[in-house]
Formats: sequence, structure tokens, C-alpha cells
Amino acid sequence: MVVAVEDVGLLETMAPANNRGSTADDGRERIARPLADAQREFVAEIERGRGGAAAHRRFADRMDALVGRAVEDAVDRAAIETPFAICAIGGYGRRSLCLHSDIDLLILFGGRIGRAEERFVNAVLHPLWDARLTVGHQVRTFAEVEELGDDNPEFMLALIDVRRLTGDSVLFEGVHTQYAAEGLLSRRSQIIEALLQLTEARHTSYNDTIYQLEPDIKSSPGGLRDIMAARLLARLTPDASASLEASELESAEDFLLRVRSLLHLEAGRNVNLLSHELQETAADRLRFPGARTEHRVEALMSRFFVHARGVSRTLARVTKASQSDGVPKALAVEPTGPNLELFAGAIRFVDPERASTEPASWLRAFEAALDRQVPVGDEVLAIVERHISTCTFDDVLPTEEDRDRLMRCLRPRKGQYETLSEMHECGLLDRLLPGFAAISCRVIRDFYHKYTVDEHTLLTIRALERLLEPDPSRERFRAVLGELRAPERLVLALLFHDVGKWKMHNHAQESVRLARAMYDRLELDTEFRNDVEFLIGEHLQMSYLAFRRDSEDPLVVQRFAALVGTEERLKMLCLMTLVDIEAVAPGTLTPWKEELLWRLYVDTYNQLTLAYGDDVIEKGQAAVAALQTTRPDDMTEHELSEFLEGFPRRYLAMFDSAHIYQHARLARGLHPDEVHLFLEQKGDVWELAVVTLDKPLLFSNICGTLSYFGVDILRGSAMTSPAGVVLDIFQFSDHGGAFRLNPGALAEFESLLQTVIAGRQDVTTLLQRKESGPLYRRGPRRITPVVYFDDAHSQSYTVLEIVAQDALGLLHRISRMISLHGCDVDLVLISTEGNKAIDVFHLTKGATKVPRDAQLALKQDLERMLEEE
Amino acid sequence: MKLIKAIVRPNKVDEIKDTLDKLSLPGMTVIEVRGHGRQKGHTATYRGKEYDVSLLPKTMVEVVVSDDLVDTVVEALIKTAHTGEIGDGRIFVTPVEHTYNIRTGEKDVV
Repeated sequence: MVVAVEDVGLLETMAPANNRGSTADDGRERIARPLADAQREFVAEIERGRGGAAAHRRFADRMDALVGRAVEDAVDRAAIETPFAICAIGGYGRRSLCLHSDIDLLILFGGRIGRAEERFVNAVLHPLWDARLTVGHQVRTFAEVEELGDDNPEFMLALIDVRRLTGDSVLFEGVHTQYAAEGLLSRRSQIIEALLQLTEARHTSYNDTIYQLEPDIKSSPGGLRDIMAARLLARLTPDASASLEASELESAEDFLLRVRSLLHLEAGRNVNLLSHELQETAADRLRFPGARTEHRVEALMSRFFVHARGVSRTLARVTKASQSDGVPKALAVEPTGPNLELFAGAIRFVDPERASTEPASWLRAFEAALDRQVPVGDEVLAIVERHISTCTFDDVLPTEEDRDRLMRCLRPRKGQYETLSEMHECGLLDRLLPGFAAISCRVIRDFYHKYTVDEHTLLTIRALERLLEPDPSRERFRAVLGELRAPERLVLALLFHDVGKWKMHNHAQESVRLARAMYDRLELDTEFRNDVEFLIGEHLQMSYLAFRRDSEDPLVVQRFAALVGTEERLKMLCLMTLVDIEAVAPGTLTPWKEELLWRLYVDTYNQLTLAYGDDVIEKGQAAVAALQTTRPDDMTEHELSEFLEGFPRRYLAMFDSAHIYQHARLARGLHPDEVHLFLEQKGDVWELAVVTLDKPLLFSNICGTLSYFGVDILRGSAMTSPAGVVLDIFQFSDHGGAFRLNPGALAEFESLLQTVIAGRQDVTTLLQRKESGPLYRRGPRRITPVVYFDDAHSQSYTVLEIVAQDALGLLHRISRMISLHGCDVDLVLISTEGNKAIDVFHLTKGATKVPRDAQLALKQDLERMLEEE
Repeated sequence: MKLIKAIVRPNKVDEIKDTLDKLSLPGMTVIEVRGHGRQKGHTATYRGKEYDVSLLPKTMVEVVVSDDLVDTVVEALIKTAHTGEIGDGRIFVTPVEHTYNIRTGEKDVV
């Protein structure tokens, strides 16, 4: 049986009608010349900036004719009798063919594939190859049609766009029915699953963001493949088709195709990566406005991101709709706050009109979305986007409660990246954070960064968010994140760390400058401001020291410890460095870098907690001089100097000047067995400063008295000056309300503490009574205690580190045991992370380090005691 | 031609790059590596718990030079990477049969 080659009409437009019996050379010529003509026409369109969808369709039509001609010649030469069909698949099947795209063909035979069929296939393909076309071909028998895409999801998806070029209609209909017509719906779930898996894998390879500095026009998120995916999902799901913004997709597709055709033209091959160099060419060719090249490139890329964002949103909507079971159902409405409700898996305003006049309600919508881990609805985004330009910061965050809401939104949790990204896209984040708008879609060209500055910033938040998920390889950093007492400071610092990149140089200092405008607006307290400013200003320091300086050099660690000052800042800076590197590009954060960073963290942590005792405040130091400059009138220079000298320098990093002056006042007129106290509430935490004169069991008695009042000591420090003045600071939570509910509690506490310190009351006995009371219950022990002596880090002290399960009176019992062994507690750092107590004591015995045998004896008793806890 | 592989402290890479620039060497390859030699790692403590740091992060710098430059380059590398402490690293020199420039196809030009 001889199969007639159809569609000769197309061929007639391109060559003389009768070419039967032509030679192979003639055949090649009959392809090459019209191909060159077709390419020349396409190039002319591209150069005019019109290489969009219509030009792609015309080029596909010209290619159809060429393939038809190759088939016609092959039929003549191969004398084939088996029925066949030649089909275009994939993008070519959709008639979207770019200048150097692959020509994807399915060659289908109605019978067994023997030598004659092989000769035929060669006769079809060789002239195409000789014309330097890249042909992707699949040769199959009709019997194989049913399983064609089973083991190859990409091929299955390409078959959905199958289009007959020439050959047997019945064979073609078989494939078309199986994959593109009736079969499309019967294979619905298989196709959706394959499409979603491929899309997810593709997006993952681009770190799930459209904001690539050098995007792949075809494959990057928001690119051509996503347009195809959205359209296909909409075809497969009636619910999804309503979510498809057809005109938005068409406009995006045309733009992307115009850019893509330019890339093919410039590279002379199938290149879809819009590199920095090609951005310049494309911006010029497509006549984007701007006096300078970088302005034109910015205009091009802004347009790209607008389209990519539209495509991405549409794909997200149809993906969500496609994952429903397709059965329309009455959707429940759940109220989530004033004028807010959860509907169809998103937060929306109950009364959108009202919401548009109440900017203070906007952040509540995003907070509700975060709380429920759902997106805000498109309508919410549209309302904010429409009205944000007429609103001020105070309109959006008018009250303290609203500002607190923003802080809550900044605490790391799942969905934070998505929510902050939505806030950014609708302009809300830019209104709340001065300077953020200036880095929107900001391109910085270097060898490392792969994303725009704003997206890099948001990706640092995503990296932090991912750190919350259990991952054995990240457990150590995850634990550090879990220990942060105010992680919102880190997130705020991350949001600001690169806003200074709108300028080309010294971006860290520019970021600090821009952040200062935010402190007053948000009414941040001094400690919060100082932490955020430190993190922004020093955000490059830790990576510099870890990777480019000898972090094994004790001097490097010592200086870095002096820079960070406290463990809390070290932890935040370490995590900031980690996520900042991770957000640069996939693969930038290697296990090698993580290890170097961790080692610097550990060495600095040890320096801060184990070695700080040797570094004491001396007269004339710059920090002391600064404190003297701002000294209040009621304090003399001598009084302040006398109070400060001999305390560890760490003290100056832990407290602001107001607190230091307060502590100095407490040290006035101290007599033996007398305590001076200052208590203040800082949010949920209370801070107690105790100043007294040193004596045996002092620290143990203070801790015991606090525990007797039922408070939970969270963190603190104890210091002793050479003059014997003791300054102990405790931060505690008052769950039982001993101080919160009882205005006279401080006086009661002070009175009891005086009695205990004077030896007129035994706090151990008081605590034992409390522990045996009906209200006290000790939970199961989950933490194996660690007791560790270190003689290496400090020249003057033996350092004792204890990690144990937290319990009522634990600190009292530990410090009492230490005192009973004749050791002096000179310095203490107290930290509680969840139910884990981490305490570091600097000890001496007889004014020297604790001898080894005394350490051993104390270790044994402490371990025994902690085992019994 | 010889391939010189220098395993050095990570913080020495910038200095080594400057040194090689001064010798007018056209290129180098830098690889993040972990390992141990005589240094054999050490024990570190964090919050009272000891842990082994057996594989230490190092950087491997690779450079191909003509035979007559080997001694000069090795000497410069040693001088630059030296601190005198354990863990300064190692240098290996191995023969290279040929090199090719992928763009131009040029052979044996370093």
C-alpha cells in the first residue's frame, strides 16, 4: 500500500510541483533554500521587535512545508508500503516554533518497523539534519501508542499537542484520540500528576523564585513552560479554567517569545537564558526606554518580572483549582477577625469597600494569613495595591497594637516568606519599611548573586523559615534559632540588610542609615534598635572572618567576640550569615562553608562564655570614657569609675548606659548584708538587678530566694568587682504572678533576701518545704546532665559549664554545692533554652584556679545531684 | 608541564592568588576540601560537650605551570601559606602530559 502524501498545497508555495525522482543532493537543496528564506523572514521580524507568537506560528507553518517536502522525497526513495503518519509534538505541535528550536517529530507506522521503514525514516531525517535543523524524533508503531507516554511523562505531555503534518489520518487520529482529545480527560489525573511533578522539579531547580537575575525565558518560574502548564491545567479542570487570565497569559507569552527569538538570533542556537549581556541587546532591540543601557535593561527586566509574576500567580491559582476533586461544593466561610474571613483557602475582607478605607485593617489580613498558613486573596492584594500610594505609615500602623502586630508577623514561622512576598508585591512592605521600594527588582551584577536584591532579601527569610523544619544536617543551626529570645530582631535586620544596595558602594552603612528612619516609626526600644543596627552594619563580618581570615587564630576570635559582645548577638549574626549565603544562589552554601561558620561560632561562643573573665574594665578605656561623657549630674566621675573598674568588659556590651548608671546608683552606700534592688518589667520578662557585698553562699541564696517566689529564671549574669561589690542581674518570667499581681512583692522579696543573706533564714529549708508542697510537680527528666571543667580558656578562673534539665531551685542547689566545696563563684552566666538550663560559672579557690582534685570531687557531687534531680 | 596542588588554610587563598598574579601565572582553580594530615583534627567543646573535629576544612589550589617555573611557584606557595603552625598544608607536584584550551583548541600552552 502506498501512502499518499497530503498537504501538497503547502509544498506548492515553496518549490516547483514535480520533484519526483530527484536525487539526495536535490532533496537537500529543496530543504536548505526555503529554510534559509523562512529563517530570513523570521529574522527580519525579530529585528523589528516582532518575533512574538504570530511570527512563531508563521515559522512553524514554513517548517511544516519543509518537513512535508522531506517526507515526499523520502516516500519516493524508500518505496514504503506501511502506512505512516508524521506528526509535530510539543511546542512545534502548538505551532510555536522559535528560530533555532528543536523540530520535535513523532513518526508513526501502521505496521512492523523493518528495513524499508528504517530507510524511510533516514530519508526523512537526513535532509533535515543536513539543513542543520535539530530534530527530536520518536519512531513508534501504532500498537505502541497506548503506552507511549507511560514511562516518560515529558513525552506524554508533548503528545497532548500532537498535530498531523502529513501521512495517514487514521493513524494520527489514533494518537490524537488517545492523548489530545477524549484521552486527555480520561488520563486527567495521570497528566495533572505528571505536570505538577515536572513543574515542581523545574521550579526547585530555580529555587522557586521568578526573580532570577539571568532568567531562562522558557524554563524559569514565570516563563513559557509555566504558561503552557497553566493552560493545560485549565483545559483539564473546569474549576481551574475560571482562574485562567487568558489575555494576561497571551500578553506574557508574546513578550517572552519576542525576547526568546532575540536570544536565538543573537546566539545562533537554541539559547533561552537571558544573560546580562543579552539583556542589553534585547533592551535595545525591543526599544525599551532609557538614556543609558542600564536604564533600558531595568525597563526590560521590570517588564519581564511583571509578566513572570502574572504567569506565576495564574499558575498557582489553576494548580490549586486542579488539585480539587472537580466537584463544585458549597465553600465554608470562617470569620478570622474584624471584617476578615477565610474563604476558599484564602483570607479575604468581608466588606471590601470598608477595607479600602481602613488601611489599618490590611496588616490584620496578612497576620490572619500567617496564623492559618494560607495566602491572602487576590482581592485583598488588589485593594492594598490600589490604595497604598495614598496612605502613610501611620495610616497603616496607627497604634502600638498595630506595631506589635508587625513584630508578631516578623517572628520566624512557616509561610512567612510567602506572606512577606505578598506584602511586598502589593506595596505594603515597601510602605512599612523605608528603603525597601528602592531595591524592588534591583539588579546587581556580580559572579555570585542569582536573584534581584529584594528577592535575595526575602529568600533569606525563607532560608530561616526552612531552618525551623527538622533536618539532621542543620540541627545545630536549628537549635541556635530555637534559642533566640527575640528572633523578630533578626528578621527585621534581614529585611534591611541590603536596602542600601540601591547605591553601588558601602551598602551596609547605607542600610544602617535607612534603617534608622524605621526605628522611630516602629517605636523600637534602645536594645532592639542597637541589636538590629549591629546586625545590619556588621552582616558581612562573620563570613569575612570565617572564610577569609584565620579563624583558628585566638586573636581573630577574641576580636570578633569583642565585636559581637553577647551570645545573643553572636547567634543572630551567625544565622544571618548562614541564610544570607544560602539566599545568594543554590549551592553557594556548601557543607564546607557551614563547617567553617560553625567553628567560628563555637570558638566565639566559648570566648564569650568561658574567657570573658580575664578581660576587665580599666580606667581610660574608650567605652568608659564614652560613659563618663554622658554621665548624669547626680554621679561623679570617681563614683562611676570605681563602680565599673574590675567588672568584665562584657558588662558594657550587655547593658545600655541608662542601666549602667542605674546599677552604679544601686552600689551607693552599701553595708554588709544589705542588698539594693531594682526591678523592671520588659514585656513578658522581668529584670532584677541586685547589688550587694560579696560573702559566701551569696549567689546561691539570691537564686534560692527568687525560686522561693516561684519565678522562672530565664537568663542572667553575676559579677564581682575586685572591691567585693557584687552585681547580679536576673531575667525571669513571672508565670505565677508573684510580682505582677502583688504590688508589695518587691518589698517582701527584699526583706526576705536581706534576712537570708544575713543568715537569719535558711532558704534551702524554705525551698524544700515548697518542693514538698502539693503545688510542686517535677516533670520527667529529658536532658542528660553535662558537667564540664575548663582550665584552658581563662587565665584566672576555672570555668565550670553545666547543662541540665531546668527545675525549681536548680541554680540555688548547683551554686550551693559549689560553695560547699569551698569554691568562690566570681562570675556566672545563666541561660535557659526551653527546659534546658545552661550555666557557666567562673570559679576560684583560695584566689587561684580550682585544683584538679577539687574539680573532680565537685564534678562527682554535682553529677550525683543532677542525676537525682 | 606540572600540576601543582596546594592544600592550604582557607584564609590563605587571597594571598596565594596575589602571589600567583605577581608571578604572571594565568589561572588557578580553587576547590573547597576537607581532610586531615598530621594535624588529625582536634577535640572541640561546645556547652561542655566534647566533639571530634577530625576532617578539617581546607582549600585546594591547583595550578599548571611549565617545568622551569615549578620551583619558583612551589617556593612562593610555601612562603605565602606558611604560618609555622600545624595545619599549614601540603603541596603535591605531578606531571601533566598535555593541556588543551577548549575555546581555541590550542595544545600545551600554559
